Amino acid sequence: PVSLLAMPSYKLNYFDARGLGEVSRQLFILSGTPYEDNRIPKDQWPALKEKYGFGTLPVLEVDGKQIPQSLAIARYLAKEFGFYGANAFEAAWVDALADQAKDFLSEMRPYFVIAMGMAEGDKDKAKAEIALPAIKKHFDLFEKAAKDNGSNGHFVGSKLSYVDILISEFVFSIDSFMPGSFDAFPTVLAVRAKVTSIPAIKEWIEKRPKTVT
Amino acid sequence: YLSLSNMPNYKLTYFEARGFAEVSRQLFHLSGTPYVDNRIQRERWGEFKSMTPFEKVPVLEIDGKVLPQSFAIARYIAREFGFAGRSNLEAAWIDAYADQFKDYLEYIRPFFKVAIGASQGDFEQLKKEFAEPNRDKFFGFLEKLAKDNGLNGHFVGDSLTWFDLLIADHILTMENFVPGFLDAFPAVLETREKIVNTPKLKEWIEKRP
Repeated sequence: PVSLLAMPSYKLNYFDARGLGEVSRQLFILSGTPYEDNRIPKDQWPALKEKYGFGTLPVLEVDGKQIPQSLAIARYLAKEFGFYGANAFEAAWVDALADQAKDFLSEMRPYFVIAMGMAEGDKDKAKAEIALPAIKKHFDLFEKAAKDNGSNGHFVGSKLSYVDILISEFVFSIDSFMPGSFDAFPTVLAVRAKVTSIPAIKEWIEKRPKTVT
Repeated sequence: YLSLSNMPNYKLTYFEARGFAEVSRQLFHLSGTPYVDNRIQRERWGEFKSMTPFEKVPVLEIDGKVLPQSFAIARYIAREFGFAGRSNLEAAWIDAYADQFKDYLEYIRPFFKVAIGASQGDFEQLKKEFAEPNRDKFFGFLEKLAKDNGLNGHFVGDSLTWFDLLIADHILTMENFVPGFLDAFPAVLETREKIVNTPKLKEWIEKRP
């Protein structure tokens, strides 16, 4: 183990939400790495925005050096802590699935803004026309990937990678808006079950701040 | 020196276009690595679609094993051949800017679709509404990045990376639609000049389909 003196100081800046920051929080927890979980209240954000490179969160500070963009952060930490596949090809597949998950999130956004009351719209219509087709399209692919990987509780390879955590968290969030949305994807649900059964994660899920997203 | 029999067989499949495959093609050329540059006609896409993992191209085959998603492919090849930055931190900055670039592409899409003829619309109006403000924001970041990096011909670090190639290729595309599109970003343009004058890249750009 690396001496605490040699370790960089880590600070994860995000909102008080799970969202795009949660995967990185869980990587810190899984690796037993201390970090500052800096949750910025929404009303303070406008004043703080210009401190951060792209004006968006999350931003990870590594000894004060900023890394923006949620997947760049997750990938950086996954590499540092060993949650990035067993070889270069596995790592590339982890990245491919993560990018696909991000595409899924983009397609869901018009539904989310209506469902959360941030935009005008018929929730049921948005669910039928936006959410359900997006879930079917992307989770058919994720289900197949998990099956092709041997239905072993991972999307890629034989050990936990950051994309297992990423997709598990999206499942949790969406299921809270639309229960049962993933019943048709049992192998995906098995990945989530495996992630959440890890004692450190189970404990974190129980004690973490309870947020809507 | 790797014997040719040890090298994997690479096959990159995409349309007859630069698009999301060009960076990967350039990486093969820059590293002197043989690969099959498999270009399929758009009319035949229906035949191939269901054979790809995510129903999209590009896909990269490495000794027959398939990898989807353009950035995962580019990053994989870049790492294999040394174009992904010199440290985990540099790689992370490259990834962050590449993802920011992807976001920018999404924001300019209404303009882009009309510019490439994929949909109908008012070119000038969409340019003013979508292309220019998003260009100013994203290329504002890149202008600062190039300057902070010492105007050394790279956006991150001191060696050629897949992010350099990504941006240089995009600038070419946008200048074709809107001459002078990036005239307000001299550090970016200077960096692009140095990138495209990399010998093996210059050669490919001159002879590519």
